[in-house]
Amino acid sequence: MFGWHGKTLRVDLTTEAVSVEEVDPQVAKDFIGGRGWAIKALYDEMDPGVEPLSPENKLIFGTGPLTGTPTPTGNRYMVVTKSPLTGALSCSNAGGVFPTQMKRTGFDQFIFEGRATRPVYLWIHDDEVEVRPAGHLWGKTVPEAVEALLEETDPRARVACIGPAGERLVKIAGIMNDKHRAAARSGVGAVMGSKNLKAVVVRGTQGVPLAEPEAMKDLCRTVRAEVKADVKRGSSLREYGTAYVPIVTNEIGILPTRNFQTGVFEGVEGITGHVLTERYLIRPKACFGCPIACGRLTRVDDPVYGGQGEGPEYETIAALGSGCGLDSMAAVAKANYVCNELGLDTISIGMTLACAMEMVEKGVLPQDDVGRSLRFGDADAVIDLIRQTAYREGFGDALAEGSYRLAERYGRPEFSITAKKLEFPGYDPRGAKGMGLLYATSNIGASHMAGDLAYPEVFGVPEKIDPLSTAEKPRLIKRFEDAFAVIDAAGLCVFLSVRYFFDPKVDLWPTRLTQLMNYATGAGYTEEELLRAGERIFNLERLFLLKAGFTGEDDTLPRRMLEEPMPDGPAKGHVVELGQMLPEFYRLRGWDEDGVPTGATLAELGLTGL
Amino acid sequence: MDVRLKLFATYRRYMPPESQGSVCDLQVPAGTQVADVLAEFGIPADGSVILVNGHGATPERSLKGGDVVAVFPSMAGG
Repeated sequence: MFGWHGKTLRVDLTTEAVSVEEVDPQVAKDFIGGRGWAIKALYDEMDPGVEPLSPENKLIFGTGPLTGTPTPTGNRYMVVTKSPLTGALSCSNAGGVFPTQMKRTGFDQFIFEGRATRPVYLWIHDDEVEVRPAGHLWGKTVPEAVEALLEETDPRARVACIGPAGERLVKIAGIMNDKHRAAARSGVGAVMGSKNLKAVVVRGTQGVPLAEPEAMKDLCRTVRAEVKADVKRGSSLREYGTAYVPIVTNEIGILPTRNFQTGVFEGVEGITGHVLTERYLIRPKACFGCPIACGRLTRVDDPVYGGQGEGPEYETIAALGSGCGLDSMAAVAKANYVCNELGLDTISIGMTLACAMEMVEKGVLPQDDVGRSLRFGDADAVIDLIRQTAYREGFGDALAEGSYRLAERYGRPEFSITAKKLEFPGYDPRGAKGMGLLYATSNIGASHMAGDLAYPEVFGVPEKIDPLSTAEKPRLIKRFEDAFAVIDAAGLCVFLSVRYFFDPKVDLWPTRLTQLMNYATGAGYTEEELLRAGERIFNLERLFLLKAGFTGEDDTLPRRMLEEPMPDGPAKGHVVELGQMLPEFYRLRGWDEDGVPTGATLAELGLTGL
Repeated sequence: MDVRLKLFATYRRYMPPESQGSVCDLQVPAGTQVADVLAEFGIPADGSVILVNGHGATPERSLKGGDVVAVFPSMAGG
């Protein structure tokens, strides 16, 4: 095989048995890799009704055929499992360097099953696999654990691990890799913690064989030159990171503010990109093989908010900044560092805190229950409660369950701004209607990365479309969801792929992406086949959700989004007309009016007999 | 008429040095189009996202008094 190694490493943590399996070449092609292979494995092997924190749940790390190749940003991996936060799928994604080292071990995919009888970590170096005791590492923060692990394995190894939050089964815990990168969403860290698995350490020396290496190198050279020209002209991502975004979303009126009560934040100038660059940036940072370098190596010198690490990213600034009413970049940076050290999803903890703040404000949540004051704009409360959440101390134990369960506890689930119990990312859908349809239909719950229509609705990539219109959004969301499934399965980063690997029209035709896939694998995809593979992945994920008990009724949004008009800004007066978009979306997907894929659709996608 | 110009992200560098950060208030003749403002500041229309009062606009858009024009390079975000 080319591009793919065609090998899965399976570890039964209960027995510590390790096995290697060959991947069926037809399955490899039909499901592309990464996120696609993972859902195929989960669907075939596991009852979607399993309890997510039980040994029966499976945790899958998946690279793609383009991971570890000369493709720029060919360095991403997916973490796929059943989510303890949502009960739906987790498809969490991260970059850094770990994915490339993982691919170099000679395995495309790791499947972790069962539960270890005591804390362990895995040390995978090329084809040698060891299950090692991790009792001495349990309780360590992410940076502490990584340092210790590199010393006892190999200083050139790369680590994916959980912090205290994952160990305590915090439902919004993530898996950190390369210390500062995060597969954060949907509680994947809790699943890893439930298996007593502290870390996965990888070191590999095996290259990825390519079907057409010269053609790949030529195309990659062309793409890198285009990126270089854009960077020269002024790349906002290199200069500011994703931190440049708050000022943009604020201008459009969709920056989440105080638990999505509005989309315009009066303090936005304090949390905007140039503040981060001018005051706290050490230098930009690139993931392995990336010419953009949107990462931020930062340091805050301050008696209260002092710290050092990477980020914050836009989503963190939206959730922990404007979402919580904080207008200090230093405070947001500090909150971000603490989340990374303890292994927490910044989006979910930010929006869970925001939910709590609004409930306190409206007299729903008694301050005595919180154990301290908690108001919008209180940075010290945010940082204290982040720590309490990671350790499940005091009110942190309630926050650790995520905003939906928190709000439901007080009888007011409408204060939880979530879809399928996953906290909203940084785009208020009342001012970006396509994002509303996306949040309602993504297979992991409210995710911008499942099909980020903010690209055209907000950023004008590949071209600008009207965010306030519902027209065309069903068709575009379907296309974006399918295309992003391909990107995730291939092992690429969305930032470069959308702009450079698809034709520059909003329909996202994958000309270059198809070429890259074929140069790597020799599988002879057409553009249609590649998009259909993305559609196949999305539909199989949907079948998993349906079997897990979800129905079309769950394809919805909070009451605030459907019924409370945006109070200020350019989107003033707007709600999400989900009822206008969803039926058309179902029709285009070939699903019935309850959102169930029809027999004809499944036959077309080769998903019969399931 | 009064028009406010906001330049975001890397377009901040097109701001005149005496202006405050990324916002600048302008006095322009009636009938001025966005394209005229872009040309005045040397900002390329190609590859730019243009917002007038928070809504997408083309360079041909005629401005009215009190309009807020925001321009930034079309990149991607998080």
